[in-house]
Amino acid sequence: MTRNERDEVELVAETESFPVEPRYHPIHRIPRMIYDFLASARLAMALLVAILVCCLAGVTVVRGAQAWLTIFSTLWFNALLVLLVVNVACCFFGRIWHRRITVISFGMILFHMSFVAMFLAIVYDSLFFFQGSLRLTEGETLQNSDPHSYDGYRQGRFFSFSRLKGETTLVKMIRGYRVGGEDKRAAYDVEVGEPGHKRREVIYITNNLDYKGVKYLPEKEGYSALIVLSDKTGKELYGAHVPLQSLKQKDNSYLYTTGTKEGAGSFPFPQDSPLYSLQVAYRPDPVKDRSGEVFFQVWPYREGEIPQQEQPAAAGKAPVGQHFSAGGHTLAAKEIRYWVGMNVRHDPGKPVILASLWVGLAGMIITTFGRMRKGRAGKG
Amino acid sequence: MKSELVCFWLAVALYGVSTFSYIFGLIARYDKLYLVGLLSALAGFLPHTASIGLRWAASGVEPFITISESITFGVFMAVLLFLVFQLTVKKVPPLGVLVMPTSFVLLGWAGTLIKEVATSLNPALQSAWLWVHIVGATTGFASVLIAAGLGLMYLMKEKDSAGIADRLPELSVLDTQSYRFVAGGFIMYGLMIVSGAYWSNTVKGNYWAWDPVEVWSLVSWLIYGIYLHLRVTFGWRGSKLAWYSLIALVVMIVSYWGIPFSLETFHSGFRIDHS
Repeated sequence: MTRNERDEVELVAETESFPVEPRYHPIHRIPRMIYDFLASARLAMALLVAILVCCLAGVTVVRGAQAWLTIFSTLWFNALLVLLVVNVACCFFGRIWHRRITVISFGMILFHMSFVAMFLAIVYDSLFFFQGSLRLTEGETLQNSDPHSYDGYRQGRFFSFSRLKGETTLVKMIRGYRVGGEDKRAAYDVEVGEPGHKRREVIYITNNLDYKGVKYLPEKEGYSALIVLSDKTGKELYGAHVPLQSLKQKDNSYLYTTGTKEGAGSFPFPQDSPLYSLQVAYRPDPVKDRSGEVFFQVWPYREGEIPQQEQPAAAGKAPVGQHFSAGGHTLAAKEIRYWVGMNVRHDPGKPVILASLWVGLAGMIITTFGRMRKGRAGKG
Repeated sequence: MKSELVCFWLAVALYGVSTFSYIFGLIARYDKLYLVGLLSALAGFLPHTASIGLRWAASGVEPFITISESITFGVFMAVLLFLVFQLTVKKVPPLGVLVMPTSFVLLGWAGTLIKEVATSLNPALQSAWLWVHIVGATTGFASVLIAAGLGLMYLMKEKDSAGIADRLPELSVLDTQSYRFVAGGFIMYGLMIVSGAYWSNTVKGNYWAWDPVEVWSLVSWLIYGIYLHLRVTFGWRGSKLAWYSLIALVVMIVSYWGIPFSLETFHSGFRIDHS
């Protein structure tokens, strides 16, 4: 068609269509430009390469926690991932739309759809998730819906603590737990739920408890000593369970002591009206569980002072259940129990995320077989 | 010396014979050496299998827990796939020029890292996902190693189609075969990542934590994902992709064995802070 002919056709079209529309649509054109940008295969490739470079930097230039802070947790990196998913949606589905479905295209639809579904589920999960660390001593019960029950927690913007029903009790920590001849090392006998609807289960590293969409996973465990303060007549004045940290020593042995995970330390004792700064360490008996020797270091309590720099007023050891003399009082580790740390998680989007992974994999397999079949048919 | 070690070093020696046969066959353009290379690879594969079996039988612990075992098992899968491909599907005589030296060096390296057999399996690893994960990883490695080997064959034939290269399949056949092995490797890496995510979800409650090993596996997967996009969407063929597959293989070996076991990660000897 010549230029004159084309002008003529346009003129006829103009005169025959009413009302007359403007030739240039700035409002329509901008979304079109955005769509063209998002549906670009070059953008997909650029994003894949950019994410690849970020990942390589995150395991070479910066590593571990530093990589998490500077790359993987940042807004810009997550924006790249979001842009990739949007690009996948526009790029792929824009091209496949209204086309005949073949084995290859079906597999590719599954593969790309799984990305989009996974992204939506991740967004949903990030809004409603909960992750908390629950620490319990044997026999202790904590309310699940009370934020104070948790050593620490993170939650999504729309998560409500009322979602966590009932209470959690640590019945017992079991060492050397075996299932089908396999040593699980540590298992927690826990009970979760509301009165009348409780669920009890032994959980270990590859078996967690799911109660109404909330998972309870074993995380760590340690000793807890029941420290009792008595007067000279033997009358018990105060007692408290003191969780002990397990600190790995240079010879790979463990020191079980009060303090933090960074090192041994003292604490005010009794907690309400302190008399002493007390540091307790425990050496387990290698044969008999929950017995052994307890080491005490006692300083007079002075508020705001860290006493470890000076000599203790009293120091010594006593077997579990025996008394140790500390000035006008005696101290005893009346019994040893275990404490456990559990990871409590609610991830409502996770089932979709995990299912999407399989769908994506199925898509890859179907596409590959489709291509191989097409290749063979082409030869034939 | 234990019979397991005798078998192991015998396998290394025979893979060494295979390696030099392939390399000298290529240099001397004497294709009978390729047959020697193939037969010695086959002969080495038997004690290689036996060493894995003996180690496994000694403790009952899966034979791919330590770095040495992991490399040994990865090489086992690579040589197995190479032999199956060479003996049944498509004969590409000099293919071992890349596959066997890589296997020889990796297995020799594994030999320097051998430790005593573990007496028990870490509780975190007592899961069926372990098998799926490892089979995905090792088969993925085997696939991309052969894809790179076919890429090398492509480049050799393209450069000089006379002599031994003349007996290689057509360039288009080599290109397609290489692509198929990459696609297979991509799927197996996908299986490795998916099973790892499920396993991590059971043990730690999360499916992805940007752990260095997870990121390296993503790097491998993205590299081959980009390969497939370059081919399918951008129409790349031939030498460009052949070079790509060779470079990607180097990254793959680093990501699979070079980094994970040298860093403090979930995969570092599969340690878990569970004290």
